[in-house]
Amino acid sequence: MKDYIITAENIQLLVNDVLKQGWDVVSESKTGVNFNAIKDASELAIKSDSKPSKLSMKDFFFPKTEPLFFYRQSHDGVELVDASPIEKKTLFLGAKPCDAAAIPVLSKVFNWDYKDEFYNKRVENSVVVSLKCNYSDDYCFCTSIGLSQKAEQGSDAMLTEQQDGSYFLHIVTEKGDEFFKMYSQYLKDTQAENNKPVESKYPEPAVKFDQGKVKGWLDANFEHDFWNNLGDVCLGCGQCTFVCPTCHCFDIVDENCNYHEGGRMKNWDSCQLCLFTKHASGHNPRDGQTKRYRQRIQHKFKYYEDKFNEVLCTGCGRCTRGCGVGIDIGGIMERIDKF
Amino acid sequence: MENIYKPDLAEVKEIIDETADTRTLRLQFKDPEVHKAFSFKAGQFGEYSVFGEGECTFCIASPPTRMEYIECTFKLVGKVTNALRKLNVGDTIGLRGPYGNSFPLEQMKGKNIVFISGGIGLAPVRCITWNVLDLRNEFKDITIVYGARRVEDLVYKNELEQWKAMKDVKTYITVDPGGETPDWKGEVGFVPSIVEKVAPSGENSIAIICGPPIMIKFTMPVLQKLGFKEENIITTLENRMKCGLGKCGRCNVGNVYVCKDGPVFNYTQMKALPDEY
Repeated sequence: MKDYIITAENIQLLVNDVLKQGWDVVSESKTGVNFNAIKDASELAIKSDSKPSKLSMKDFFFPKTEPLFFYRQSHDGVELVDASPIEKKTLFLGAKPCDAAAIPVLSKVFNWDYKDEFYNKRVENSVVVSLKCNYSDDYCFCTSIGLSQKAEQGSDAMLTEQQDGSYFLHIVTEKGDEFFKMYSQYLKDTQAENNKPVESKYPEPAVKFDQGKVKGWLDANFEHDFWNNLGDVCLGCGQCTFVCPTCHCFDIVDENCNYHEGGRMKNWDSCQLCLFTKHASGHNPRDGQTKRYRQRIQHKFKYYEDKFNEVLCTGCGRCTRGCGVGIDIGGIMERIDKF
Repeated sequence: MENIYKPDLAEVKEIIDETADTRTLRLQFKDPEVHKAFSFKAGQFGEYSVFGEGECTFCIASPPTRMEYIECTFKLVGKVTNALRKLNVGDTIGLRGPYGNSFPLEQMKGKNIVFISGGIGLAPVRCITWNVLDLRNEFKDITIVYGARRVEDLVYKNELEQWKAMKDVKTYITVDPGGETPDWKGEVGFVPSIVEKVAPSGENSIAIICGPPIMIKFTMPVLQKLGFKEENIITTLENRMKCGLGKCGRCNVGNVYVCKDGPVFNYTQMKALPDEY
């Protein structure tokens, strides 16, 4: 696919133009907390050497809460009303590769056999332009799970910050190509050899493990003392699953507006919460934090791979950075690797 | 946009109280076309909903050979079953499905079948039992063993009588010692010991078993002693579910999703599961 150069000023102009076309533009917020739909290009925060935001951008594809349909009850029975169609086009600008890579990973679970069109429509309506990452800290480990700071999975195009302050734009997909053709006035044609990226101030992620070896150990050690230690530390608060770009467990609940009307909602849920698997009878298959933490690790690094040939993780390190008691998932992987 | 989470509307046509806390609803889809198009296999389950209260997962308790009504049987335990319990004839509920795999009916043909169940575990077994009985000529000897703690805990009492009256079916209804009433004419004793007395040999036989874990635990060695091969002992598992579609992430046991890979498993498959169900 094609390569272009785009200046920082032209990115601003392009964004305002895209906004004018009625699109949403989503970028990391300047506070570094989450991703935001911006109203003006001046709110853009494109920084290749920033820490990943506290929350991932999965919220824009798989919202914290969304109506599946509405119901209205009367003496004549029940009427079901569809939720409003998902039509808004969205440009994601400056996502880290570890954020963009979550999209195709989640597509697998939302599309095996039954298709979740709520998720699919949002992916279909989006153009994801990621930014080559120049950051790493003690918690990043994208390089251990088959990704890298310039991985293109899930991106329609990728920006690379250049030594002269401009950006090298590499088109990854047809969709990305179509999109940038509409805004060619802001781009300058170039060739791959003109890509002169800025040097990263940070070394490659220090956490290193062999996912194949970890998977082998997980296959054989559903029961192991190792899990007990983790379960003893974990508070079961669920933050790791909420900040994660790939965690996708959800609940389906009815939320009433009044006695007659309401909506059936799909809400984020977490395998770390104690009621998650509890039966109405009182029986709970995962009745302790040890079992619940084991489920999280096994699901990410074994079950998902068994089913979909992908690890349910992009190595962004958010779960570790946010953990109140310092449970370090990269460190856990390294320890498993050494068993 | 196709919406896999949106149920079809069904009407409660009849309510049958099985025990003090267990009830059967007979349902028909409101749209006759939907009802006509609805098909399922014995062992599959549905998501039943009371709007404003939420959804609940139960097996379809009526057999696919009798499609006039779709039936579910549930025990009053939680929020949604409480709401289902308040419904009257003519009220509307939501139903989506069928989901999951089913009992291996084709593989069961030409064999002796023994149905073993306890308590409300009869609901899925009742579905496959009627399915088999409605195609009676295609199976060899049929034995039914059903038990409950007390006489008043037996579900589908009318149908138990019908099965007992059938000449080509051996039916044994039992209650736990102490659970009998003065006029009780059935067996007294635990399910595993009744199975030991009346089940056919495992040669060319298939056992369908569903009930409390303790019943299954003590019946397994009996079946193995009778020579049942592990792959011919078939059960149906339940776990908390929300979507029923393999997405919401809570019913998995190891890498197996009960809602998609199950709920029907044979004993070989069960033994391969990690101990987390």
